Amino acid sequence: MKERLQAMLEVARGAVCEVETEKSLLDIRIQYLGKKGEMTSIMKSMGALQPEERPIVGALANQVKEELEQLIETRLADIRQVEIVRRLTKETLDVTLPGRGRFAGSKHPITLVTEEIVEIFSALGFGVAEGPEVEKDFYNFEALNIPKDHPARDMQDTFYVSDDIVLRTHTSPVQIRTMLKQAPPVRVIAPGTVYRRDSDITHSPMFHQIEGFLVDHKVTFGDLKGILTTFINRFFGKGVGVRFRPSFFPFTEPSAEVDIQCVICGGKGCRVCKNSGWLEILGSGMIDPEVFKSVNYDPEVYSGFAFGMGLERVAMLKYGVNDLRLFFENDIRFLRQF
Amino acid sequence: MIVTYNWLKEYVDFDFSPDELSHRLTMAGLEVDAMEKLGAGLDSVIVARLLSVEAHPEAERLTLCQVDTGSDTIQVVCGAKNHKVGDLVALAQVGSVLPGDFQIKKSKIRGQESFGMLCSEKELGLTAEAEGIMILPPGLKLGIPAFEALGLKDVRFELGLTPNRPDCLSVVGVAREISAMADRPLKLPAPKVVETGAPIDIETSVTIVEPDRCPRYAARLVKGVKIGPSPEWMVRRLESVGMRSINNVVDVTNFVLLELGHPLHAFDFNLLRDRRIVVKSAADGDIFTTLDSQPRQLNSCDLTICDGEGPVALAGVMGGENSEIKPETRDVLLESAYFTPNVIRRTSKRLGIHTESSHRFERGADVDMVPLALDRAADLIQQLAGGTVAGGHIDVYPRHMAKLSLSLTASRTSEVLGLNIDALEIAKLLGSIGFEVEIANEPQNGALTVKVPLFRPDIEREIDLIEEVARLNGYDSIPVTMPASRLICHQGPSHQQQVRKLRDFMVGAGFSEIINYSFVSDGCWDRIALHADDARRKTVRVLNPLTEDQAVMRTSLVPSVLDTVARNIAYRNNDLQIFELRPVFLSVDYNELPAEKLRLTAALCGRRAPEGWAQERFDVDFYDLKGVVEGILAQFNIAGVQWEGDSTEPFLHPGKSCKVRFQGESIGTLGEVHPKTLEVFEIDQPVYIMDLDLTVLFALAGGHPGFRPLSRYPDVYRDSAFLIDDEVSAGHVFEILKSIKNKNIEDVVLFDLYRGKGVPEGKKSFAIRVRYRSLEKTLTDEEIQSIHGKIVRTLEKNIGAEIR
Repeated sequence: MKERLQAMLEVARGAVCEVETEKSLLDIRIQYLGKKGEMTSIMKSMGALQPEERPIVGALANQVKEELEQLIETRLADIRQVEIVRRLTKETLDVTLPGRGRFAGSKHPITLVTEEIVEIFSALGFGVAEGPEVEKDFYNFEALNIPKDHPARDMQDTFYVSDDIVLRTHTSPVQIRTMLKQAPPVRVIAPGTVYRRDSDITHSPMFHQIEGFLVDHKVTFGDLKGILTTFINRFFGKGVGVRFRPSFFPFTEPSAEVDIQCVICGGKGCRVCKNSGWLEILGSGMIDPEVFKSVNYDPEVYSGFAFGMGLERVAMLKYGVNDLRLFFENDIRFLRQF
Repeated sequence: MIVTYNWLKEYVDFDFSPDELSHRLTMAGLEVDAMEKLGAGLDSVIVARLLSVEAHPEAERLTLCQVDTGSDTIQVVCGAKNHKVGDLVALAQVGSVLPGDFQIKKSKIRGQESFGMLCSEKELGLTAEAEGIMILPPGLKLGIPAFEALGLKDVRFELGLTPNRPDCLSVVGVAREISAMADRPLKLPAPKVVETGAPIDIETSVTIVEPDRCPRYAARLVKGVKIGPSPEWMVRRLESVGMRSINNVVDVTNFVLLELGHPLHAFDFNLLRDRRIVVKSAADGDIFTTLDSQPRQLNSCDLTICDGEGPVALAGVMGGENSEIKPETRDVLLESAYFTPNVIRRTSKRLGIHTESSHRFERGADVDMVPLALDRAADLIQQLAGGTVAGGHIDVYPRHMAKLSLSLTASRTSEVLGLNIDALEIAKLLGSIGFEVEIANEPQNGALTVKVPLFRPDIEREIDLIEEVARLNGYDSIPVTMPASRLICHQGPSHQQQVRKLRDFMVGAGFSEIINYSFVSDGCWDRIALHADDARRKTVRVLNPLTEDQAVMRTSLVPSVLDTVARNIAYRNNDLQIFELRPVFLSVDYNELPAEKLRLTAALCGRRAPEGWAQERFDVDFYDLKGVVEGILAQFNIAGVQWEGDSTEPFLHPGKSCKVRFQGESIGTLGEVHPKTLEVFEIDQPVYIMDLDLTVLFALAGGHPGFRPLSRYPDVYRDSAFLIDDEVSAGHVFEILKSIKNKNIEDVVLFDLYRGKGVPEGKKSFAIRVRYRSLEKTLTDEEIQSIHGKIVRTLEKNIGAEIR
């Protein structure tokens, strides 16, 4: 009996090793372990043994059965592995073929820089304000300390709608509107469309600006430098040189023009920076006491600063766009690059 | 304003290199827009002498010159005619690069070798025009660089001055700033006028009728001058800052204007009727011919300088033809006056005459400069044109202008700037540019009293002085700090988030954002065929547009969007998904601000997806556009809108367009662009446009409708295809389906719509898939059958649908 079991195991082992397919392996399993298989018939013949032999042979039979099952399982896993490997080698794609395309939408580059700038100033605690594009002379000029007949009006060529109504020449009127509505502290950023009567390769009669201002007790010129330096480092990258130099705006005093180190040549001098190594990007200054008077803020109690920048210029520098007109031609080949 | 390095050096002794000076000026608020080094890189242009000049054997117009360079004799072919043996010339040697990147090489001209070029002033960048080559003055050493030999090595700075700094519209003014930077004294010219003529009071008189408009008028008389060309130094000086020499007397007035910043005028004394000056306003309607031969119509706002009979100059703006200095002029009356800025500005603006003189007067000249400028000019005229200066001068000064006295404290200055500065430092800084400063006895807050010189009309308040302190101390030295400001909770305009959400949705849906000008041509309303009484024709008009294409503020974004489509198609960008999200301007009333209303206008055309191997070509249609609108409505939680056939927009196809309404209110329109409109815009493919009123859309936007629980039980589908009459709209079918209220109907989808073979004429096959699912249990077949049967029966009953 023992010998029979051993012999059967050897034969089965040989057969299991030889088969190549899952099907033949399963046939082997039936042949040995099935209901009518060899194992069953051996087990059935156990009754003929001596009672004292039965437990010994029984244990052996179980051992052989287990071994056989194990053998088949292992082989099955091997065969399946070989099978899957073969299938996978056959099934391949040319992954270099282009994907099924879709048209990707895009925001206008002016929107992109606006959103980025607003985000930076939001993180600094600035809220967003807006104002009308067709604006009263009062908000656009008078309240900003630019009376009629003032040479400062020459700085901006204005489109008029009537004697008292203009297309706003800057986003600064939003300062006035906001301050008239709200008592300090104010911290506001105001992006918007502005218009100037000027059109050539570097001027567009419509363009975009973003205005920012902050008013509270004891705001200093040093604070203006702090906020703008922080902004520039966030927007143009850490380590970009910044300089503040005296300038003139009727609605700020002291006024400062803010230059950054040329992002094209790194300050060595190139055509974009007219060989100066610097690019003018912001106008700024401490809000003039006259402006405070026109919005009923007490200049003895409050101080603040304001700044403004042209978004087309910022976008041109950021993306290396070399022609202002591209922003308004709306060529889809341009727009889809953003 | 242009100044040069050498000229500045005459008034202040500074050690800055040109590059350093440029940087310092910019950082002091006098921005250097451009710096040009005259003669830079031209050291190989040297002084040489012509040893012989012979005709070129092959070319009549050329000469063969033997040139002595001091160390060598070389041959040069020259095309000029004005040179002769013995002349000193500027020789550009082989290897020189002249302005304009003009390289001088060894060459052969008509068979004759040439080792360089004899230069003209133009070729050396000295003047704009030149006749013949430059003949240098005798006595120069041969072989040294010509620019050096002539003292022409200089650096030209072009300053972009802000309008608040009229004091820097002169070489002396800029030198004053440099003197402060360099801590060296400013040296003003000290003219010595030799008065040998009869007393001026006998010869002429000055009357100011309106002293408020002309507070001061001074004059001198120089008789017996000889008008002629100016000497070389004067010509060069004027040219170095871009001004042309005219004659000695006119040049002197221009020179003094540039040097001291004070505009002067010279009259031909013998052309002044009654030989006297009266300053008064013009009479309305006066016609006066200015120096440029233009007749000008004056009015009472204009201030004129008159003689005994009428105007001889437009005060502070331009002289008159009738009293102009001419070659035969013998006696010159010199005017040095101060005019009130806004008087000059008004006239200059109204008549459109902008001169060096008006530029300075309207920004504010220095009334204290009147006598010095007058004397400087008289002195120079005498030197350059001879003549005798009448004894004394006239100085009518009825409105004395006193220096403004301002107080300032060091503590306030420190507070505004965020800088620690004391009274002594402030006094030193302000003193360096000519302010008179007194420190108070009790220097508690560091109180100071400052007298502002009259050349700084921009300094009127304490804050202006604080700016000067910051400027002179250097903005760089102010420490960078962060504000200690109180927190506020900002509530921006509520539509900002909505705009951003909508824009993000459109971009996600594959659309590219466009931005067009807000102004359009008035004719664009005809192009989109708006009816004559359409409200959108009532536009806000720009009074002074640049072109007629930009004359009115747009009341609709449609024309601009169609223009954008057309322009792109012209570039063969045929597949477009674009949108514009901008305000339109609706006229309210004259002298009222227009209503600015945001709109979203989007256009679709061409392929639905980019061309590629993996997809078939499908062109977009109305339903692509409608899908986007549905997406927008879903984003804003607006459910249950009506799609009303025929938008009635004249630029949309009446049969393929609709209005979107919600409870009667119009959100906008969408549809295929009318074939006639396409023709007008020269577009040769179908275009689909939506035009939404965002004011309405945002107002209708609902909040989140709330969570609906998810069923854990299996769903069951039932498909049914119905034959229904063609006229019955899908919307109607869905309305009926919706009226069958049953909580186990999860959703209904129209999955096939078919007309044609197998479907009778006038009918369509309308196939729906109903998905059933309960929140509470697994639905039985009977339960589903019962609801589905109800659906079928309802459709049969209501619209005569037949099951296929």
